[in-house]
Amino acid sequence: MIDPVTLEVIWSRLISVVDEQAAALIHSSFTTVVREAGDLSAGVFDRQGNMIAQSVTGTPGHINTMANCVRKYIVPRHPIDSLQPGDTLITNDPWEASGHLFDLTIVSPVFYRGRGVAWFASTCHAVDIGGATMGGDARSLYEEGLAIPLMKLFKAGAVNQELIEIIRANVRVPDQVIGDIYAQQVGNQVGARKLIEMLDEYALPDIEALSAQILDRTERAVRAAISALPDGAYQDEIAIDGFDQPLKIACALTIAGDELRVDYEGSSPQVDRGINVVLNYTHAYTTYTLMAALAPGIPNNEGAFRPIHVRAPLGSILNCRRPAPVSARHLIGHFVSQPLLTALARVIPEQVIANGSAGLWNTMMDGLDAAGEEFAYVFFSAGGMGAAHDRDGLSATAFPSGITGVPVEAIETAAPLLMRRRELRPDSGGAGRFRGGLGQVMELEIITGINANHSCMYDRTGNAAAGLLGGKPGATGEVALSDGGRPHPKSHYVLKPGQAVTLKLPGGGGFAPPYLREPQRVLHDARQGYVSLAAAERDYGVVIDVETMTIDIEATNARRKEMEAGT
Amino acid sequence: MPTSEYLLAVDIGGTFTDIVAFDPQSREIWVEKLLTSYPDPSAAVLDGVRRLLEAQGISPDAIRYVTHGTTLITNTLIERTGAKTALLTTAGFRDALEIGNEGRYDMYDLALVKPAPLVERRLRFDVPERILADGRILQELASDALAGICAQLQAEDIEALAICFLHAYTNPAHELAAHQLLKARLPDVFISVSHQVAPGMREYPRTSTTVANAYVQPITGRYLARVHEGLRCNGVEAPLNIMLSSGGTTTVDAARAFPVRLVESGPAGGALAGLYWGKQLGDSDVLAFDMGGTTAKAVLTRDGDLTVSNHSEVAHVHRFKRGSGLPLMVPMIEMIEIGAGGGSIAHLNRLGLPGVGPQSAGSHPGPAAYARGGVEPTVTDADLLLGYLNPEYFAGGDLPLDLDLARCAYADLAATLDLSVERLAWGVHQLVNENMAAAARVHAAERGLELRRYTMVATGGAGPVHACGVAGGLGIRRIIIPPLAGVGSAFGFLTAPIAFDFTRSYVAKLNELDLSELNKILRALEKEGRGIVEGAGVPADDISAQLSIDMRYVGQGYEVRVPFPMGKLAERHIASMQSAFEAEYRRFYGQLADGVPIEAVNWRVLIAGPAPQIETLSLESATSASDSPLACRPVRFDADSPVRQTPVFRRDQLSEAWSAAGPVIIEEAASTTVVLPGWTAQTAAGGCLLLLRGDQR
Repeated sequence: MIDPVTLEVIWSRLISVVDEQAAALIHSSFTTVVREAGDLSAGVFDRQGNMIAQSVTGTPGHINTMANCVRKYIVPRHPIDSLQPGDTLITNDPWEASGHLFDLTIVSPVFYRGRGVAWFASTCHAVDIGGATMGGDARSLYEEGLAIPLMKLFKAGAVNQELIEIIRANVRVPDQVIGDIYAQQVGNQVGARKLIEMLDEYALPDIEALSAQILDRTERAVRAAISALPDGAYQDEIAIDGFDQPLKIACALTIAGDELRVDYEGSSPQVDRGINVVLNYTHAYTTYTLMAALAPGIPNNEGAFRPIHVRAPLGSILNCRRPAPVSARHLIGHFVSQPLLTALARVIPEQVIANGSAGLWNTMMDGLDAAGEEFAYVFFSAGGMGAAHDRDGLSATAFPSGITGVPVEAIETAAPLLMRRRELRPDSGGAGRFRGGLGQVMELEIITGINANHSCMYDRTGNAAAGLLGGKPGATGEVALSDGGRPHPKSHYVLKPGQAVTLKLPGGGGFAPPYLREPQRVLHDARQGYVSLAAAERDYGVVIDVETMTIDIEATNARRKEMEAGT
Repeated sequence: MPTSEYLLAVDIGGTFTDIVAFDPQSREIWVEKLLTSYPDPSAAVLDGVRRLLEAQGISPDAIRYVTHGTTLITNTLIERTGAKTALLTTAGFRDALEIGNEGRYDMYDLALVKPAPLVERRLRFDVPERILADGRILQELASDALAGICAQLQAEDIEALAICFLHAYTNPAHELAAHQLLKARLPDVFISVSHQVAPGMREYPRTSTTVANAYVQPITGRYLARVHEGLRCNGVEAPLNIMLSSGGTTTVDAARAFPVRLVESGPAGGALAGLYWGKQLGDSDVLAFDMGGTTAKAVLTRDGDLTVSNHSEVAHVHRFKRGSGLPLMVPMIEMIEIGAGGGSIAHLNRLGLPGVGPQSAGSHPGPAAYARGGVEPTVTDADLLLGYLNPEYFAGGDLPLDLDLARCAYADLAATLDLSVERLAWGVHQLVNENMAAAARVHAAERGLELRRYTMVATGGAGPVHACGVAGGLGIRRIIIPPLAGVGSAFGFLTAPIAFDFTRSYVAKLNELDLSELNKILRALEKEGRGIVEGAGVPADDISAQLSIDMRYVGQGYEVRVPFPMGKLAERHIASMQSAFEAEYRRFYGQLADGVPIEAVNWRVLIAGPAPQIETLSLESATSASDSPLACRPVRFDADSPVRQTPVFRRDQLSEAWSAAGPVIIEEAASTTVVLPGWTAQTAAGGCLLLLRGDQR
């Protein structure tokens, strides 16, 4: 038993060791995906493969999937005592790791005084993995690229050259892909070195006692947070656009004592497009959403997952069977947060937010540039987030994804595109006592003088983000061409020179009835142009005199009475 | 004619205004410290300068120059007390300031708050015009639309205006035209133009920087004019140089044009001082570590110099959360700041374990032991309980500490954790050390630096108390405790060269560079810079120009800064540019992307005068040198072993040949140096204390 002060000192040190692992990985990474978008995770595990600490970088989809992959898949097959110093394992199995072939999980055991004491692991998004490029078009996993079954990347310090050659032969940008694999190895090695220094300094034989106490304390804290909620079953379901046809995500949340169960029974079956989600990924976004809502100050580790149980029917869109195509699994996976938050709202309305745009809007353009050379460019954009019980939703902000967007100037420098306009989208935030975040409007053209291919990956064009507790839904998204055409939001079409495509990103849902919003706030929104005068009156019942930009109190009171009475 | 030429430095901090005068001939230094005056900080500056000159009998015309740094700009941004500001953008892009980077800086915070833009949406105007990424004009500036905007700006009583057009960094024609037109119609409005304030790609940080510049410009202009005039009225005709966050200084005029470059001038002075003291004792790998009441700051040198980056933030929503501030794209010394200071509060975290900070009792009410009403247990209280601080000689005896109040403050937390108060105090001390060490370790890992080679220069009221502990956690074996700790930033200003840098974007693959165009750009930059530096009184022959080029592989998002010899560029230089880039890239990333074309993005010219050479200081030597301890007191250095009777020395009484093996405590008014067991301490050149770990001497 370590006393609490020493425990916290060593625990803080262990967190900094993981941060150093991530810093070394990022520092030596070759790709902007890792260096800038932070599309990676890094963590340290005990002998049994329990994740004890993670670095502060990372996306939910990577961290929690990596935790499951190491404990349930890798360690049972390669117990630490069966390995030797200098060994490193690798896999990109979507079902066991993080849901698509792009993500490489690389795991190294750490040996101290001749005995295996810990693991360092990281998961990074490779720029390319062969096969069809990123998107939902594939009909099976086999079209999506190179699969790397769990195997040794290094044996006693020597690299597995055959594997490296196979990867090189399968990917479009081998230097970058291999470079990042080495960067992951560098991160693991730095973590191992720093961990050994820590063990020396604190005269510890291993981290088993530390791990046991940290996981136990974390588990207790999460159980305490769950116990504070009333027992019961809470449900919600949402419709999302899907690929060709709408899909349903149904979620039943059961709180019993200090345990919490989430069951996605009733969700749509898997489809023959690459938007299927593996259970591990569903689990990751479920635990992430629950931790953010219930226990934001508690560390994210194996202990936190223990009281939380996640199930989805095999063969459903959230627990697809091999070899379903899964490449664009995030398009669906990000949406599990939505019914989950609504179900939680029945118990802890003050700790959740209304639904938001949830899915990132991924725009991909490719074709020939003015010099006749091929170009391909992809960027991500965010709509509005849902409102909370005491504040408006954030406009143009990604949730639950952890990515950041790309500046217009960077887009136009890298690709022959012209952004005609990029603004907040007035009236797109769902009305409510607290307003949903605004989406944004983008208008894009091609400036090569020749046709280009525009691949769309856009959701919430048919199904809006719902409001919460009387709040109104956000605006749905729209894709429209300047000549009146309406491209399919999840397919590709040819964008012609002189034609502009307008993307209107969805807004977030509002919180509580809009007639409860302070009239001064509505006036403020109208003055700033977040809400039009017409919408102020129609949606909020606030009548504003155009000349003086002041509130007509009498008319407002009358209008609001009608709204409250539902007329 | 005066026989000597003095250098004067003035630093305005939140609480104190520090003034330092230095005589390069006698190498003597004088210090004046007074409370910062509000609302007009120039009052204390002028008052202090007058007092110092009178007290030392220095004639105002014997001053060679005055270097000045201030927190005024940072405070204006944090407190949002700047001018009523409007923004003019390319039509369709007025929300870039609000859309930001679309990310969240804390993944687990569903109630996240983003920093509100400095310009509200209704004051963000846009005008038809468009320039493409390569600088070509797609749509001419709609000059006639500006008339209507002018009327609105007037009706709103706008004091300051930021203009930020897309791709203005590649072609500033429209920004210049709009500026000229609006300036003519609105002569009293301060106008900041993006290609001049922050010439680099990425519209959000560039707009944010330009807006911040406009927002603080009126207040800075008024303030600097008052200081400048005030000094003149007091007979100080010497040039007034303004400290920049990059570690250089500039003229008052340039500072008024680009006040946003002044934001972290105080910490920049602290970093310069750290570098100076390291070099005085022969160390060029320096970790400057400053720990005050609320925060700890650390700066790392690289290859013997401070590193300057163009990416920083100011006015954070959560002070210590990266990404929660307003981005600034101006040259700034890289530093780490964390919420760990003497006032940091110990608490129980959600795992039932003790945590320290970032909440702080600050100086009001301050730690419990200050007896000013604070009841929360702080780091200073822990340091007192451990015996590191002398309750009768804290702040030179001006602020007696109350041991019982410190004990009281820790009683509840200790009981909850089932620990003795002393055991908990030791833990809190260790924990805050670990937090600081962790921040430094990660910062070093992000840059590929090996901290074991470094020498720590520890300053601030709490720095020397924690120096050995933090150094131990980093593998550092040498610590310098410099003199003049109370006025470190102001002293650092004295060592700053007159230096200003200019950046222009000119994006092209190396084999497609238009060299004649490029040479034209570089010549113009150099001329502009030389004008400013000469204006500050530096002889033309002493001015140097350095070029650095931001380069990357085509397709990458971030650049690597590559130094390159300044001079007329010719075809033969292209190959050396490539190899210079590759060397820098390999150093940073480990391996190259062979076959991928390289492009240059930004061209940065630094125009600098010589750095003032400050020889080893001649400090007043001890009046009654006494190398025997003043006293002994019981001090705790470990969790479980008993307290140790530890000799206590007074720093100003140590002789030049003094040395002792730890544990030892050395007290002075500004701080207390705690020398842990396993370390030795000795006096060193220039009034420094040198602490060494283990048996090295």
